Order: sequence, then structure tokens, then C-alpha cells
Amino acid sequence: MNFLHDHSRGDSPVHRLPAGLKFATALTFVLTTILLPKSQPVGLGIVAVVLVLIAIVSRIPPFFLLKRLLLLEPFVLGVAVLALFQPDGLRAFLILLLKTNLCLLTTILLSNTTPFAEMLRVLKRIHVPWLMVSTLTLMHRYLFVLVDESERMRRARASRTFTRGRRFHWHTLATVIGQLFIRATGRAERIYDAMCARGWK
Amino acid sequence: MNAAIEITNLKYRYHDGTEALRGVSFRVAPGECVALLGPNGSGKSTVLLHLNGILPEKMSGDGAVKILGSPITMENLETIRRQVGLVFQDPDDQLFCPTVQEDVAFGPQQLGLSRTEVTAHVQKSLAQVGLAGFGRRSTHHLSHGEKRRVCLAGVLVCEPAILALDEPTSDLDPRGRREFKALLRQIPATKLIATHDLELVVELCARTIVLDRGKIVAEGATVELLNDEALMLTHGLERPHILRHIHPH
Repeated sequence: MNFLHDHSRGDSPVHRLPAGLKFATALTFVLTTILLPKSQPVGLGIVAVVLVLIAIVSRIPPFFLLKRLLLLEPFVLGVAVLALFQPDGLRAFLILLLKTNLCLLTTILLSNTTPFAEMLRVLKRIHVPWLMVSTLTLMHRYLFVLVDESERMRRARASRTFTRGRRFHWHTLATVIGQLFIRATGRAERIYDAMCARGWK
Repeated sequence: MNAAIEITNLKYRYHDGTEALRGVSFRVAPGECVALLGPNGSGKSTVLLHLNGILPEKMSGDGAVKILGSPITMENLETIRRQVGLVFQDPDDQLFCPTVQEDVAFGPQQLGLSRTEVTAHVQKSLAQVGLAGFGRRSTHHLSHGEKRRVCLAGVLVCEPAILALDEPTSDLDPRGRREFKALLRQIPATKLIATHDLELVVELCARTIVLDRGKIVAEGATVELLNDEALMLTHGLERPHILRHIHPH
């Protein structure tokens, strides 16, 4: 599926760096960005320049990065707009917008230069609670299965669809989402049984 | 006379770069029942998905696939989807409505029929597949064989001229397989069956097409092809036991 496609398996000097180092750097970047006072826009500028340099070295298509950012922009705007209602609101709004986007760009860069499995290994090493790591692991594993399943269902549905009625489409979509939910729950139970069958506690 | 299915030099590459079809051409005459054989990943399902315009994602309109004489275009897509009934490999993909009745009614509802007409059509198709009275059952709690037959009913209810089946007998027990084969034999539509069930092929399909790595490697009378042990083994198949008792001469 297109939207799950990422560049984490690419090859560049950034991709080759150890995952732990990248993780720590990203965390530092995010913290620095958040903690920089509003009166220091130059600091934010430096962070931005460094991020752009990393993006160039990582050879990830700029258009791809931009698309990912835009995808998240509604959430950013939703929060940042609230800043407009305080004194000196426009400035606060712009700074908030910039900070959030810098943080997002950092995580997008991290996730597109580090395969997810390696990221999980880092999380395990730094003693992130085990329950959280295994939840993330399972989520990543079955996300693809679920997407494949919904894609197959979509095809089967399209095969039997021969009207363009909008209402009918919405009705069908609702049914499909319901079925997908039931199936995902069923699958989760089967997976759990299979895990227990192999000695999982 | 127009062929029911006419495919000319069909090529297809999936997003991930896999070349699924590398120039496939064949014809199926109206009323014929043709088997599509080949190892896993040979492109059988991909061919079937092209028959009603599910693939390619972007309609090219190049006329590589013609159904009853007309190439598939955006304009006639809906007509084509009524003419070609596709039965998918996994019944759970196809059955997305909570009850059997609703699922089979999915097609006729779109034709703008009245409620009583829809019910009549649904009952007729359910009876046709031997599931009369199953309307209120939940699609989730049917046996695999029953699910298969509901899938078939859901397609037959629109009276398609062409039936394309993707491994219709996989996962069925011997009785389920026997019954499903008998059912298929009664349906007069043109049939293209992608399968690994060689007994089904011998019993139902006079002609066979063998696909391997996206290309047609053999095409001809079923008994002759399937008796060719070397050909069968080269392409991940085998000479079926049933043929040891049937002599082509």
C-alpha cells in the first residue's frame, strides 16, 4: 500500500548510522526545539537548517517529506489556532507552528532512515516498558495484514458494484468497516491463542 | 461471433515492481469452460482481476481485455461488472454483509429493483446453490462450503454471462468439493476457473491454459495437456491420478 511505503530501507550515510545514535539525536532535537524560548527564533532557524541538511544527505525525496508534513498539518493547525486568542497571538501562533513542524520533521526523518524493527530494538534496550514495545511490535506486524485484507475486500466489493449512487457507497463503506472490525477482533483472538499455544505468558 | 473473453498481449506490473503478467493472450468462446492452471504466483489471479476492470488501477483503454467484444473503459465499467461475475479465493473477502440475505441482495439492490423483486431474486439464487432458507443466517457463522456457495449466489443473482472463479474448491472437504463441482456444471455461463484442483479441471474444463511466471506456457485440450507429465512437473503441477483411468485414445 502506498501510504505505508517509507524510505527506511534506503541507503545513505544517515541510513547507515546506528539506530541508537539517531534515536538519541532525534530526541535531543525535539527537546531543544520545545525548550527554546519564544524570544530565540534564531535557535529554531539553526535547528531547521540542520534538519534540512540531514534530509539532503539522507537522499529522501523532498516531495515525499513535504507530503508527510502536509498530511499531519490539520492536527498542527487545530492546536496552533488556539494560540491566536492570546495577546501577541500571531507571533505565538507562528512560533508554535514552526516548533511543531520541526518536531514532526525530526520524527519523519528518523522513521524514514531507520527500519521499524531497529527502532523497536532501541526501545527495548533503553528499557521502555515491555508491554508497550510488544504492543508496537504486534501493531506493526498486523497493520500490513489488515491493510491487505481491506484491500482484498475493496476489490471484491468493487467487482459487485455497478452503480454510482453516493448514498449506496456510504452505506456499503459502513458495512465494510464494521466487518473489518469484527474480523480484526477475531484475528486478534486467534493470534493470542497461537501465542499461548507456543508458550507465551 | 465475438469471443466472451479476448485478451491480447496483457502486461501488468504490481506497485512493488513484481512483473505479474508478461504478455498474455488468449480467447474464450461463449459457453466454454476453461481452466487456468499454474503454480502459485504465476499470475492466475491477476488475470482474473483484469476481467472486470479491477486491474489495472488506471484504466488504460488499450483494449488488451475485451469482454463480449467490447474493451473495458470507464464508461462501460458498470456494465462489464454485471456481465463478469468474479468469485474471489477467500469467501471472507467477498461476504461483507452481516446476513446471507443482505449479501446476496447487494447486486440486485443496485439495479433499482423493488424490495419484493430483490427478495425473489435472492431466494432464487440461494435455491440454485442449494441454500434455500439460509437468508437470515449470519455470514460469519457459515461453514467454508456454505460461504463459497453464498459467494456464488451473490454473483449468480445478477445473471452474469461470464463467471471467473479463483480457486473455487480450495479449503473444501471432499463432499463440499463434489457438490460445488456439480453446482458449477449446472451453470450455463462462460467459465474461466483458476485452480490447483486438477480433478475439477479434468471433470469440468475441456480446455486448459497453463500460466507460469506471467506467461502462457501451454494451451490446449485438457486431457492431452494434463497427460504430459514432463510439462506438468516443469510448471509446478502433476499428472492427476484420475487421468490414469481415462484414456484419451
